[in-house]
Amino acid sequence: MIEIFTSPVVLGLIILGTALGITVGAIPGLTGTMLIALSLPLTYSMDPVHALVLLVSMYIGAVSGGLISATLLRMPGTPAAIMTTLDGYPMAQAGKPGRALGLGVGASLVGGLISWLALLLLAEPMADWSTLLGPFEYFALVVLAQALLAGVGDSTRAKGLLAGALGILAAMPGTHPATGELRWTFGFTSMNSGFQLIPVLIGLFAIGKILTDIGTEEKKIEQSSGHDSSFIPLKEWLPHWRNLLRSSGIGTVIGVLPGVGANIGSLAAYAASKRASKEPEKYGHGSEEGIIASEAANNATVGGALIPLIALGMPGSVITAVLLGALILHGLQPGPLLFRQNPEAVHAIIGTMLIGNIVMFLLMLIGAKWIAKLSAVPRKILSPLVFISCLWGSYALSGRWFDVFVMLGFGIAGWLMERLKLPLAPFVIGFVLAPVAEENLCAGLMASGGSYLPLFTRPVSLVFIVLAGFLLARKETKRKKPQDLVS
Amino acid sequence: MAPNSHTRPLLQLCLAWLAFLPFGISQADDFPKKSISVVVPFNAGGGSDIFTRIFQKAIRENQLCPQPLVVDNQGGAGGTIGSRLTKDATPDGYTIMCLHDGIYTAQHYGNADWGPDDFEPIAATGSSGVIIAVTEDSPYESLSDLMEDAKTRPYELVFGTNLGAPNHYSALFVQNGKPGAKFRFTQTGGGSSRLNQLKGGHIDLTGFSVAEYVQFKEAGIRALAVLSEERESALPELPTALEQGVEATHSLMQFWWAPKGTPQERVDYFANLLKETMETPYVKERLQQLHIDPIFLVGDELKNRVKERGARLNEITIETPPPLPPLHWIILGLVIVFAIWVWRDEKKKSAA
Repeated sequence: MIEIFTSPVVLGLIILGTALGITVGAIPGLTGTMLIALSLPLTYSMDPVHALVLLVSMYIGAVSGGLISATLLRMPGTPAAIMTTLDGYPMAQAGKPGRALGLGVGASLVGGLISWLALLLLAEPMADWSTLLGPFEYFALVVLAQALLAGVGDSTRAKGLLAGALGILAAMPGTHPATGELRWTFGFTSMNSGFQLIPVLIGLFAIGKILTDIGTEEKKIEQSSGHDSSFIPLKEWLPHWRNLLRSSGIGTVIGVLPGVGANIGSLAAYAASKRASKEPEKYGHGSEEGIIASEAANNATVGGALIPLIALGMPGSVITAVLLGALILHGLQPGPLLFRQNPEAVHAIIGTMLIGNIVMFLLMLIGAKWIAKLSAVPRKILSPLVFISCLWGSYALSGRWFDVFVMLGFGIAGWLMERLKLPLAPFVIGFVLAPVAEENLCAGLMASGGSYLPLFTRPVSLVFIVLAGFLLARKETKRKKPQDLVS
Repeated sequence: MAPNSHTRPLLQLCLAWLAFLPFGISQADDFPKKSISVVVPFNAGGGSDIFTRIFQKAIRENQLCPQPLVVDNQGGAGGTIGSRLTKDATPDGYTIMCLHDGIYTAQHYGNADWGPDDFEPIAATGSSGVIIAVTEDSPYESLSDLMEDAKTRPYELVFGTNLGAPNHYSALFVQNGKPGAKFRFTQTGGGSSRLNQLKGGHIDLTGFSVAEYVQFKEAGIRALAVLSEERESALPELPTALEQGVEATHSLMQFWWAPKGTPQERVDYFANLLKETMETPYVKERLQQLHIDPIFLVGDELKNRVKERGARLNEITIETPPPLPPLHWIILGLVIVFAIWVWRDEKKKSAA
């Protein structure tokens, strides 16, 4: 593993990827998903190891960068940093912006490292275990993923299910994954391979966002001032060890769950930390514990989400869904064979998780206040740049104008979904996993002679189905809004 | 006069050569002008993918082609996604495909209404034996045991195949080789998925090419028979199906195709490129490692071989698989149901 990371090219890519990720994370108009989806066509001609190193670094940076604008400007640069805004900004207002950043960055590092450890220790056993999953189990796992998104996501259950079903529907046109028959192509040969992941993602996340932004007023930036140090001595960290471990643990576990990403991770860790706290009244008014819980957890979701990605080919978050696309683009099939046939790819991902977090820590400590200035770039400059990259990115994928139209079409769809408050995550996960689910269901039915019974008689499949049923049948509680947690 | 008689033919030759030179150069420069997409209609890591990448690497490292060959994995649906893509690609030589016998098995199976006749064959570049394998802890020690069981308990043993692909036909030839024996065939995808499913006990047996078997055998699988006419030199211990009283032979031949209508000189360009590539030490060494017989066929010989192999499939009759759910319509139904649910929620909310 070490050989890969002594190469100056690889180290350079980690620094580049992390820096870009942090910047994009810090700028409220841009997201990590956008950055990675747009960079994917660029990595087309790169060595697969280099491509993975770059993309994973971007992922780490993007999840971390949000805390800068959350703390200094009261604008979460990414959804993952919403919880950080609640305590980071009040602390910065109280004249300690440096300390708020220092706490956030340090907690991010710890969260990243703990989830890296989980990734290192669990990915391979999980991959070996995955051979126990047959066609029915894979199908049930996809059903569980959708139920999970609808059941614990941050919108109502009906909306989560609708968004998931729409995502699956968008994956239906093209070639039947098990029989090869064409369906819903309406006579267009371009439709034979269906809608491609990258144009769909770019459209939903980048064009959709631009369209949404056009209709809203740009927020006035509230910059806090203060010149205290971001350096926090080790002994001041010691009282927080329990919170760090708990939040990182929660983040890692939530990261592993299919489709549930960093924002839910930080929300859950924040809530748990507040419950366990001796001073819960401070939460929302500049609590150090609050910043630590949110930031440790959102970085920990990265390592967690990478585990099912490389072990099962199941994306644990929207960004890992894009990474799954990257793996397949580079001819790497996730699963137990990946560890045998392409160990360098596995090492690249795991090693980048470690080094990328350390690089993130250093870059953020040195450059946070400087990056904060960048996040004040007005939208009228950003949006056209993003739009041009979108056009280029979807065309460059395979040189087809069809993909550009698909991208624009899904941009409108993303804008509509935003207006109707339909969550994007279930849509993307549904879109990515639909072919997996269908191919496996059909394979299972062929093996069982057309009987659906094994879905309920095979133990692992039964567990998944029962869990999914439980998640959906459970009484729907009122969603906790970030604000509810601090009032 | 004497010197002239010597020099004139030489001069003529030089002139003739000069006259052809610009043409020759312009033709060589003309094609290929951009990278060439080589469609592999299977997932990465399987036998076809590895095979194609050997040629890609040899071409790149020996600089046999001025432009890069880019492998485009278009897996799924028994290879028909990739072959359709190639069939419908612009026939300008910038899209070619490496696909084995699957090109006519998919047509015979009814997965595709196109076949070899819809492509320009470029070359055949190797042939590989087919191995029937089970897991290490399987109760079957020989193919004859297994076939006996498949006869006494028809439709019980699950044979993992890539439906409509050659390995499904290998399985069907095996089934035909023992009258009365019946398997249940499932869609298990490419070589790497078949290995995972076999290891996990989701299928009882499956077929691998010798190349795949050699690559996967350390993962804990056991070969029962090879479907070649004679034992493979690489696996002298492994008996053929014929030796075990199962009248089945099959093999996997690798072909290169261009979309119908690709100019003949571009087809020839690839035929020559592949011929040169076949002769590189790297390809020779790798094919030997993978136990692929390095046959090389072009032109009429190639066309006859394709016809002959296609005709053999007439022995086979396909039983229809169980009906599969029309998932696309089910999902459309769900979308409507959920949309109504959301709409009612919203109405309730605005009322309250």
